[in-house]
Amino acid sequence: MKLPENLFSRLLLAYLPFMVYPYGLFKTGVAALWVAMFLWITVSFFWLTRSFFPGRSLKHAFFLWLVVWAQAVWTLTKLPPLWILSVFFLMPVSFLESAVRPERVSVFSWKVPRYFFERALAGVGFVIFVVAMALVREACEKGLGIKLFEQPAGLLFVIAAIAFLWKNQPFRRRA
Amino acid sequence: MYFLIIPLGFVLALRGGRSVPLQRPVEGLTRVWREAADLFLTTSLILTLGVVVLAWEPCRGVAGEYTILGLGVVAYALARYQKKSDVFFLVSMLIAFMIHSRPVDLLSGLSLAWAVSVGIAIFQTCFLGLRYRLLFSNVPAAVKGWPMFCLLAGFLSVVLWSVGRLIF
Repeated sequence: MKLPENLFSRLLLAYLPFMVYPYGLFKTGVAALWVAMFLWITVSFFWLTRSFFPGRSLKHAFFLWLVVWAQAVWTLTKLPPLWILSVFFLMPVSFLESAVRPERVSVFSWKVPRYFFERALAGVGFVIFVVAMALVREACEKGLGIKLFEQPAGLLFVIAAIAFLWKNQPFRRRA
Repeated sequence: MYFLIIPLGFVLALRGGRSVPLQRPVEGLTRVWREAADLFLTTSLILTLGVVVLAWEPCRGVAGEYTILGLGVVAYALARYQKKSDVFFLVSMLIAFMIHSRPVDLLSGLSLAWAVSVGIAIFQTCFLGLRYRLLFSNVPAAVKGWPMFCLLAGFLSVVLWSVGRLIF
């Protein structure tokens, strides 16, 4: 059972650190919004400056960038830096592979809006997913009083159900 | 601290490095526990360095203010030196930070690091064992992959919760 590196996989992996946050619906939503915004800032920043980082220094720069922002956000809002793991998983797969050479793309190429559309979709999808999971948690833990949702197990079972439905979409199976 | 074990153990089990060979479970088991020992040693070293720097008068103010930056740089250097994966670096840094942000002394911090590392190793061992057993079961294709992994992680979380409540 090898997991494919698609957007859905990265979305689920990016959600896992959010299980550690003991926040309610509002704070979780704000944290997810911040992750999406920061993802877009990071993608734009490294898309524009990637050619300035020779060879493997891109990787070092990326992680330093993450750590510096984690420090800044902690200083300003006291949000624990678990969110950087989410950003790491939401970033494009080939981004940190030194073997992958960036191809030269004209700013007016059709690839540019598509690239940014996919990243935007990842961010929006992540926020919707996190808020939906927070809603489920609130409803099951506080509304229905299910003890299973006081620990990660409850959410993991919900994710398993979502993954099952996602994997067995009728139109995809027909394709 | 229990809430760190399941999500981070799950992340390490899926993206921690080279995929564990399911056909050779003993090799996989050895690798899981070696990684856990590395995680404990790395986290402990980060925590100890943090305490040493904070004990040094001229650095105390800066180190106290830029904790994440300091822990992150040390964790990154140690992970690169050991040729570990990026996920290992992030996980070790996050565990070190979560322990460091608690009002505990160094010995208690190291005990927590040990407990979290062992918890992650137990989670990964059980996860590996269950995946190995599933190799010989007729798992329907519809639930293979993410649905099955999340179910296994959920069951392990229920089991480890009872043990975790006794420790944390």
